[in-house]
Amino acid sequence: MAPLRSRGVQLVLRVLLGGFFVYASVDKILDPAAFARVVYQWQVVGPLYSNLVAVTLPWVELLAGALLVLGVWKRESALVIALLLSVFLGAAASVLARGIDVENCGCTSLARSEATAPGWPPSWARGVGWFLVSRDLLMLGAAALLASTDDRRRAAAERHAATPAV
Amino acid sequence: MWIDWRRFVVILALGAGAGLAWNAFSGRGFALTRSVLAQAGDELVRAQEARVLLDRGALFLDARPRDFWRMSRIPGSLPLPEDDFDRSFPPLEPALRRARAVVVYCSGYGCEASLVVARKLREHGIDAAVLDEGLPAWEDAKLPLDREPKP
Repeated sequence: MAPLRSRGVQLVLRVLLGGFFVYASVDKILDPAAFARVVYQWQVVGPLYSNLVAVTLPWVELLAGALLVLGVWKRESALVIALLLSVFLGAAASVLARGIDVENCGCTSLARSEATAPGWPPSWARGVGWFLVSRDLLMLGAAALLASTDDRRRAAAERHAATPAV
Repeated sequence: MWIDWRRFVVILALGAGAGLAWNAFSGRGFALTRSVLAQAGDELVRAQEARVLLDRGALFLDARPRDFWRMSRIPGSLPLPEDDFDRSFPPLEPALRRARAVVVYCSGYGCEASLVVARKLREHGIDAAVLDEGLPAWEDAKLPLDREPKP
């Protein structure tokens, strides 16, 4: 695990994961009602709680993503993202178990298929299915790694290793 | 592994607070206390009110794709699928004009089909209410379903 906790890998993971969450929040923040429609399609928490989710979730994504990119409160923001990803995965499992057809998962873009170029992005990348589950699992792994790496302790260990034995 | 849980809570609370404030003051927000699918002019009825209307002889319309209606439906309802409105409406029109009340339903709060069908009926001069939160609300209220398969 040590190479994964190195400074360079941590920086790349932070920027990629945090950047993805910032990117994912923008469309939803610009059109909260359109995002609410998408949340309804998941049919998980009912219309009124779906409204609350649609209004608050994108801003938590934006804040946690931005903090992670900047490296401020790194472990806590990574943990918030891990929590969000766990909720997404649980909701996706529920959608798949009930056989609900979600045309666009609303993960990053809210555009309806007829509004964008036909066939792109392909439906397997838009709906709730194996692509979403594997992508979220991958990001959950990265978030867990970031949340569990203490930079100060690593820095101290590196200094210790660099100090020649007396 | 050491996490500062206060920071964790602050991120969640600040994010949620910013979202609520944005919804209230940005001009892009929406009313949190009702479905975003409903528009001014839509008439929604709760399951129990719909039951009373059914007992009084209201005509119920199933806005889901026809195969769903074939499997199970509110007793006495007729299929008028949203995606097939233009073909399905003319044969139903006389009955709809005779009906004292019309109620449209679909598969739940996530589907817009019943609202769309009711709006199209209104354009034809037929008043139609929509079953709020659709069939799941009907089933949750323990109201009867006709599960006999139709050809």
